[in-house]
Amino acid sequence: MAERTILRKDQLEISLHNEKKLIKEGTIKDDNPLDLSEPFRELCSACRRGDLKVCQEKITEGVNVNARDSYDYTPLILASLCGHYEVAQLLLESGALCERDTFQGERCLYNALNDRIRNLLLEYDYSKSTDPLQPLAAHVASLLTRENPSTTDITISVVDQDIALHKFILAARSPYFQSKLAATPEISTWKLPSTIPPEAFATAIRYLYLGEAPRELRSGPGTGFTETEVFTGIDKIAKQLELESLTESLLESGDRRRARQRRATELSKGRDQLESWFRKKVLGNKLTVKTSQVNEIKWNRSNSIFADVLLRADELSNEEVGVQEASPRSVLFPCHRAMLLRSEFFQTMFTSSFREAQVTDYLHIISVDCAPDVLEIILTFLYTERAEFPLDVAVDVLFVADMLFIEKLKTKAAVVISTLGSGVSQAEAARTRGIQDEDDIDIYAIIRAAWMTRVQRLEEFAARFLAYRLEAHIDSPEFAQLIEESANRIQARQETDSIELLDDIRFYLNERFRKRFDDAGLDELMDEQQQPPAATDEGEVLAEGVDKITEGVQAIDAASTGSEAGVPIAKTQASHNHTREIRTLDGALVEDEFEQDAMNYQILLEKLDALLERLNLEA
Amino acid sequence: MASMRARNKIRAPRRSHASTPTEDFDAIWKILASSLSGIHTKNASSLSFEELYRNAYRIVTMSRGLELYERVKALEKDWLHNHVRSQVTDSILPILLRAENGPDRGMPVQEQSNERRAAAERFLSVLKETWQDHLVCMGMITDVLMYMDRTVSGDRSNPSIFVVSMALFRDNVLRVPVRPDLSITVEHVLHSTILFLVQLERDGHMIDRPLIRHCVSMLEGLYETVMEEETSRLYITTFEPLFLNASQDFYRAEGAQLLEEGDATTFCRQALKRIGEEQERCNVTLSASTEPKINQVIDKELILPNIGEVVRMDGTGVRHMLDQKQLDSLRDLYTLNARVDEKKSVLTQELSNRIIELGHEINTMSLAPPPPPPPPPAASGPTQNGDQATPENGKRSKDPKKEKNAEKEKTVNTQTASAIKWVDEILALKRQIDNVWLHSFKSDQTLHKSIDDSFGEFINRNTRSSEFLSLFFDENLKKGIKGKTEDEVDTLLDNGILLLRYIKDKDLFETYYKKHLARRLLMKKSASMDAERQMISKMKMEVGNQFTQRIESMFRDMAISQDLTTSYKRHMSQTNAADDDRPDLEVHVLTSTMWPMDVMGKNKNKAEAPPCVYPQQIKTLKESFERFYLDKHSGRQLSWQAAMGSADIRAKFVRSNGKVQRYELNVSTYMMVILLLFNEIADGETLTFTQIQEQTQIPENDLIRNLQSLAVAPKTRVLKKVPMSKDVKPTDRFSFNHEFQSPFVKVRIGVVAGNANKVESRGQREETEKKLNEERRHIIEAAVVRIMKQRKRLTHLNLMNEVLAQLTSRFVPDVKMVKQRIDSLIDREYLERLGDEASTYVYLA
Repeated sequence: MAERTILRKDQLEISLHNEKKLIKEGTIKDDNPLDLSEPFRELCSACRRGDLKVCQEKITEGVNVNARDSYDYTPLILASLCGHYEVAQLLLESGALCERDTFQGERCLYNALNDRIRNLLLEYDYSKSTDPLQPLAAHVASLLTRENPSTTDITISVVDQDIALHKFILAARSPYFQSKLAATPEISTWKLPSTIPPEAFATAIRYLYLGEAPRELRSGPGTGFTETEVFTGIDKIAKQLELESLTESLLESGDRRRARQRRATELSKGRDQLESWFRKKVLGNKLTVKTSQVNEIKWNRSNSIFADVLLRADELSNEEVGVQEASPRSVLFPCHRAMLLRSEFFQTMFTSSFREAQVTDYLHIISVDCAPDVLEIILTFLYTERAEFPLDVAVDVLFVADMLFIEKLKTKAAVVISTLGSGVSQAEAARTRGIQDEDDIDIYAIIRAAWMTRVQRLEEFAARFLAYRLEAHIDSPEFAQLIEESANRIQARQETDSIELLDDIRFYLNERFRKRFDDAGLDELMDEQQQPPAATDEGEVLAEGVDKITEGVQAIDAASTGSEAGVPIAKTQASHNHTREIRTLDGALVEDEFEQDAMNYQILLEKLDALLERLNLEA
Repeated sequence: MASMRARNKIRAPRRSHASTPTEDFDAIWKILASSLSGIHTKNASSLSFEELYRNAYRIVTMSRGLELYERVKALEKDWLHNHVRSQVTDSILPILLRAENGPDRGMPVQEQSNERRAAAERFLSVLKETWQDHLVCMGMITDVLMYMDRTVSGDRSNPSIFVVSMALFRDNVLRVPVRPDLSITVEHVLHSTILFLVQLERDGHMIDRPLIRHCVSMLEGLYETVMEEETSRLYITTFEPLFLNASQDFYRAEGAQLLEEGDATTFCRQALKRIGEEQERCNVTLSASTEPKINQVIDKELILPNIGEVVRMDGTGVRHMLDQKQLDSLRDLYTLNARVDEKKSVLTQELSNRIIELGHEINTMSLAPPPPPPPPPAASGPTQNGDQATPENGKRSKDPKKEKNAEKEKTVNTQTASAIKWVDEILALKRQIDNVWLHSFKSDQTLHKSIDDSFGEFINRNTRSSEFLSLFFDENLKKGIKGKTEDEVDTLLDNGILLLRYIKDKDLFETYYKKHLARRLLMKKSASMDAERQMISKMKMEVGNQFTQRIESMFRDMAISQDLTTSYKRHMSQTNAADDDRPDLEVHVLTSTMWPMDVMGKNKNKAEAPPCVYPQQIKTLKESFERFYLDKHSGRQLSWQAAMGSADIRAKFVRSNGKVQRYELNVSTYMMVILLLFNEIADGETLTFTQIQEQTQIPENDLIRNLQSLAVAPKTRVLKKVPMSKDVKPTDRFSFNHEFQSPFVKVRIGVVAGNANKVESRGQREETEKKLNEERRHIIEAAVVRIMKQRKRLTHLNLMNEVLAQLTSRFVPDVKMVKQRIDSLIDREYLERLGDEASTYVYLA
């Protein structure tokens, strides 16, 4: 790592001042603009509370996660200061910046409540985290050089070079090409006048394909064109293809930060162009037909949207309503293989020598095993990198993304489920314990989905979810079955192997109750016999951590039942006497909520053990 | 809130993935199985990837991925076993098996080879086809089962289906007996077939390389285990060892056969050809990873055991190649030797032997005892003069002198000639060897060192090398460089310096060089002062500052003297401008310690010779200068070296017919003194030798030589001598020769050459050595004291080492001499032996 020089205070102030001046002049954008809007205020307050759900909602609404409030706090600083690991993670994943050597970035790091959060922030240091649009850009740029499978449909010759390109990208990115291609959609070769330097054209193409601006242009002897000629050529092409910002972006590659901002702007503009084209052409041209008639659809290769494949999704016969319609319907989306390649599934398909990879007169119809609206979400992601969808389809998206090998979307779906799904905040969950909460989600389905699609994050989420509502699930046979399934997931299970789900639940259970003990100052009680477990700070469910916690739990048990030293005797005994009553008679009978918690914790653990015995499992 | 929840309620997943009715597993599998078979029968283009993938996906989501995995495995095994295996075994013709049965290496390949070769190629191409089909099919199947692979082999420790299918191919196609009743497997046949084809190629036949390459890449693509470690490739575990073994036998035999032929050049060429072939074979036919290994085999079997013999091979070995300048063969030999021996010791040894041998020849030729003169044996043209230098020679070579006096300037002493010849020959040899080194030995450093060592060795074996080299410089700086361009001069000097590098006793060289230089400077014989200075700077670079210090100070003296002369002239014209008669004076004031005094004639008779008596005119001049000089530098002592000076005098010759002829004579100081004597006496009167000697006090030796020049040499006979003979005897009488004739107005009368620029006689050499040894003693003592002063206490061994290290740049001290010096220092109480340890010295402050 390069040696880091620490700036003196005056130097720092000068650089801050200079930066402000530049921002005022409009040369560079403020990374953290002041935002006094109501949604942003809500986001900030959610970050203080650690309310994942609201955070996710606000982020999905499009609130700028990098803005600052009137006290110069950014959401990330707040989350990091208040120690909400999950919130900080969500913010970082949604593009919040924490860059070392910047004022705001160092504030985040400095303010981090604990090392776990600090390390998380460092992991997302700018040098590693890239523009969220970068994967899309990288894919589009890679299309220029990708040879297998061939997805190009037009060849443009400049002087003696042939460049194979994609009509839909040209049309989406350049109004000039759009109108040209609209006039002659079937054209497959195009000759450019020889006055244009190939280097100039190549630069323009790279720009169209969202590539990085070249560090320097090839010109001078050997290329047959001088530097000026190349620049004039680029200028000319830019005018002709109506790419106003091409020359600017070429000239501005000097300053690192400005180049970065320029690139971010370019990318988001490029994405917007692709998106609007996608919405207009692809989604706008989707066909809804009766499933029985799907095979009669014939699309010619030379169509106005340059699609080279049709994706089909069958609508589900509407079971819920129970009305069996005469015939189910299917939706066909005209798509471009070039973009579908982002999914490993399609890439393998088009690279193989199966039927789908053969070139035929009419477009192949490839059915994707999901609902049309889910397919639309998938396609939107592939074309635009946008992954915004409501909770209700999240599980579907998760499964389809898993099937089609789109890892990023899978992660995204998991994030949606684990944030929006956490529903009421934990405090609320604790307060309403004992009351059969009407859950938003079918946690059993989710945990099975997590297993099936191997998403660790969802498993943890589900365990946490269950832990906070354990009293509602502990007695249900479905829960027992789930534990058994979890146990069976380990092949050739040994006596000593633990059950993963159960370990997770115990971990979160401890977290849930310990927090309340801490609040009440009861940790003194625990300190007498042991150190407070450090597991929460480690962020991982370590077997030892669990053991320690269990020990701790027994210790509490001992303290609350036997030992009289250091504990208000009367209360302990009273609660001991009333154990059953509290369980069965609801919280009203006990004056002290903490007592009740201690008891409940104990009871829940006992119940888990009982459950294990019943299932003949050792853990 | 309630409405929000309703909206957010997660929709039940579209299909209840976990609980898909299991009864259609078999149905789905049936579809899948037939499709997979379809892939094998090359109907893939009609199959739908999406459909196959969906089916596999559904089975996996039923949590029956593992079952699917096993079924696919079984299907593949079945396919390989029932279809592929027979295809391969059927293609093996009996002739291949026959060859496999009996160890066939010794069997004459010729008659059977064609038939066997056809069979071999057929078998290989079937195998290749099978393998490629398998690869393609498995690639497609893996694509289709992508999802299964990820869940089944990703989560658990199952190898991916592709890997499994490779292992299946290995076990069900390669490792099955060719015929049910035989123990030979397809793999065995494959190995022996490839080896057979390789052998064919080594024998000079064309074979189908790409075909073999395909089969080898199959072996490379297959592993012993499903872990697929690099080292468990079948190629490495099975074929490669066999190949290396076969090669080993082959090259051992070839080596023996080549050695029998007994021609080093052929051996090298053949070996290199083999190396090239094997390299090509590895890159084109087999695997590049084998190249280092097969190279090892060649090195070990073909080169290493034979190289020594090849190098020394009579009539064709290194010696022969060097003599015949066979650069290519030498290069081949070098390449081979370098492969097996980083130090190339065999070659180095032989080369160095040869160089020393050649150098020895040069030495003996030049050192042949001074040949009985006419005819000179190593004569390189007209020689013979100045035999006075070697008195024992002088008498015998009197006769030819008369005719050859005319060529005085051009002639050189035989020995000087042979010294120069020696240098030239060494240089020629060096050039030749360097050429070989550059072109054949790739400028190899080890060899360069050994060449240098060899040169040093034989050059130092010649005890007179320092003198010869100095003579070489002397000759060239005097005459050799005339009319040469700067570059040529530069190379000439560089060549000389090159030899200087080899000379160990640099102090000896210095002594000689100084002596020769002094002559050149004082007698103004140097052809170019630029070249002299260039020479000095070159020596400085080569040997160091210390070495050239004294030589430089000689130059400094010369420069100062020039200034002195001009300032003296100015001084004189200021003080007594009127005196026109006063002769001009040019002096060289030399620092006596820096100049080799023996050059100035002091050594002969250690007793200070009485100073020459100058005529009045000169005496005043001399005294005037002495006053001038001592005014400037008080406390110095000037002693005049008349033997080294020269004078321009104008002489009037009155012819018998009364005409007056004037000549300007350039003579030595002594001659001037002698001639001026004749001014004092009347015309026609004579002076005897003894008279002259009495009046001038010129040492006899010098007087004889000067009179010889004046009275005997035919072209410069200014004096007449009675009787007219070659020798000058004390009784001879001299008179002024008014009939002196010369075609030029200016006449230079040289003193019959002294001895300084000739090879020394034995006596002189002993003298030089004696002086040298004395000097060395001082140097050694100084070094010992320097070291001990610094270290205070040192063992004998360490002290010796340090002394040697300090002095080697000047000369290689004789160990005995160093010991003596140490003892002497102990006697003089500079050092002390440590009481109980006799071998440790302590410095006494």
